[in-house]
Amino acid sequence: MADDDDKGYRWETEYEKTWEVLQEDAEGSLQTSIDDMLHKAKRRKLLEKITNVRLGMMRHLFIIIDMSVSMGDQDLKPTRLICSLKLLESFIEEYFDQNPISQLGIIVTKNKRAEKITELGGNPRRHISALQKLKERACQGEPSLQNSLELALQTLRHMPSHASREILTIYGSLTTCDPGDIVETLKILKDAHVRCSMVGLAAEVRICKKICSDTHGKYTVILDESHFKDLLNQHTSPPPAMMNTESSLIRMGFPHQNLGGDRTGHKPSMCMCHLDSKTVEGFSTTGYFCPQCKSKYCELPVECKSCGLTLVSAPHLARSYHHLFPLDQSKEVPITDFDPGQHIFCSACQIEIQEQSVYQCKKCKCIYCIDCDIFIHETLHSCPGCSSSRQTQTAEAVFV
Amino acid sequence: MADSTSTCSLVVIILDTNPAWWGRQSNHGNPKLSLSKCVDSLMTFANSHLMMNHLNKIAFIAAHSNFSHFMYPKRQQREVTDIDTNIGEINDGKYELFDRMNNQIKDEIKSLVLKNMEVEFENDSLIAGALSMALCYIHRMEKEKPIGVKMTSRVLVVKASEDNPAQYMNLMNTVFTAQKQNVVIDACILDNDSGLLQQACDITGGVYLKIPQPQGMLQYLLWVYLPDPSTREQLTLPARVQVDYRAACFCHRNLIDIGYVCSVCLSIFCSFSPICSTCQTTFKIIAPPKLTKKKSKKPTT
Repeated sequence: MADDDDKGYRWETEYEKTWEVLQEDAEGSLQTSIDDMLHKAKRRKLLEKITNVRLGMMRHLFIIIDMSVSMGDQDLKPTRLICSLKLLESFIEEYFDQNPISQLGIIVTKNKRAEKITELGGNPRRHISALQKLKERACQGEPSLQNSLELALQTLRHMPSHASREILTIYGSLTTCDPGDIVETLKILKDAHVRCSMVGLAAEVRICKKICSDTHGKYTVILDESHFKDLLNQHTSPPPAMMNTESSLIRMGFPHQNLGGDRTGHKPSMCMCHLDSKTVEGFSTTGYFCPQCKSKYCELPVECKSCGLTLVSAPHLARSYHHLFPLDQSKEVPITDFDPGQHIFCSACQIEIQEQSVYQCKKCKCIYCIDCDIFIHETLHSCPGCSSSRQTQTAEAVFV
Repeated sequence: MADSTSTCSLVVIILDTNPAWWGRQSNHGNPKLSLSKCVDSLMTFANSHLMMNHLNKIAFIAAHSNFSHFMYPKRQQREVTDIDTNIGEINDGKYELFDRMNNQIKDEIKSLVLKNMEVEFENDSLIAGALSMALCYIHRMEKEKPIGVKMTSRVLVVKASEDNPAQYMNLMNTVFTAQKQNVVIDACILDNDSGLLQQACDITGGVYLKIPQPQGMLQYLLWVYLPDPSTREQLTLPARVQVDYRAACFCHRNLIDIGYVCSVCLSIFCSFSPICSTCQTTFKIIAPPKLTKKKSKKPTT
């Protein structure tokens, strides 16, 4: 953190001559250097990934959304709030996709108060519908950072010690209106090992930066909408575990799915998740039954309401294995290494590679084009070449 | 008028060409289904699919016992290759796209069978590799499709041999990717039920069917797998199978109802042990929740 402060402010540093990076090629065209830059930008994302770090896989995250007057500003279209809510919707989906057994909750702050919109929960649809309702509400008054952090802390404090506790704040205002000393709150946050991260929509604020750096979070300020999206997406992959996160074995249930039908002889019943609703929803023969107490649920993952057992299905756990068994980076091979007359094809998508470099898997020696290489590493997480051969198909776990 | 609403559909067929299984079939004397008959049915299926819409596309991948092979479309070189190398053959008025595709698939299968005679044969096929290849190809076609055309893609896996349990993670990764890309995975099972593909079809919303009579394979292909997923809703297709989503523990490979999951690496164990065998983490022993409840009760009594 120290060298981050040493850098000083951007306006104090020397002027960056961005145009000097562009070099004309022999024909006087800029195309090659533009291609090169695009190519590097594509690769950069992959190289940034850190491996060999223990991750906090079970995340408990509160999102604090500023709903003060400053969120009504129209520098993001149509307004800061609408834009943030729209991006958060996709963030939530991505979050649960990457962290299947994690939980999330939403808090908003306006009029110097903080209000909990959704409790910590593992159902993305509930959070997204809550976000959609927020669109109709007006932005009012000043935000209170301290109130909202403390509200989040009240719940996070009681989370088990093996879970990673996090707060992500979307903050549009440059001020905060607090009932007490926020530094005190910061101390409590630190003691409770809550990681606070913030995304600023306006400019860097000293207290936000301090909170984030002291709790090992990330503080970033957006440039524009696409940058905002990138910054949010950085928070979807699980963070490195805190030093003191305890590890434990968690008891979990893997329920049977019952598809109903006449032959099974099951009578229709009410599921536990829709018990309070007055509609007929949830009344059927199908569902998942808790192996311990036989309560019925229509969705997984869920914590059993009657016996407290965490119910998951095996694919939920498998969804996060790619964080633990990451693919190795492929080796970049310049196209000049091959015979000039030879046609080089991507082994995955069969395209003839025209770019200046190809990517080779270190294990199975298959050659990929850059698009497939990115697709394989970012989305697929398994190498087509390795998984079609018996010798190379299993990955080794990476732990420290 | 058509430009704004035109849709096309890409079907990637993955055929399990495991030599051990197909070899055993033909040795039975009275084979239920031979490889050539199966390929014939698949080609009829492919032709019918191409006939549904002139924008429709097909791809064909063979999952062999130790590698996957892309059979159709062939890698295209930019320079004009003379497609009419087999011009000598009588063209009996067959649509030339069908003709080219069918001949190419036939040739590729032939060379695949002939070339790989010496290798040791295994009983199971590595479907995950072929599936991830298919997804990469679909990913490329999504980018290359003409503007204004909506493309739906699906994968049809025709499988006969056994599952390879070591493929679980690779297969799951491809299944989740398929789900993200809205790619439906259908499975047409000829012999051994496949637990892995059952999960794949259930997660992506595809049809899993173990064909009761392999002789009538073409009929099943045309009735069950030819309609696209949006049309299937209106058809009465074979009922969904009950999918077993129980986890297998890492220690004994038993299927369990209640297990213990390591909070660091998410390994599944059937009983409590103080050290995780996968990531070597030592666990803090937490008193069972019942005990803590008792303690809280004590002061009240």
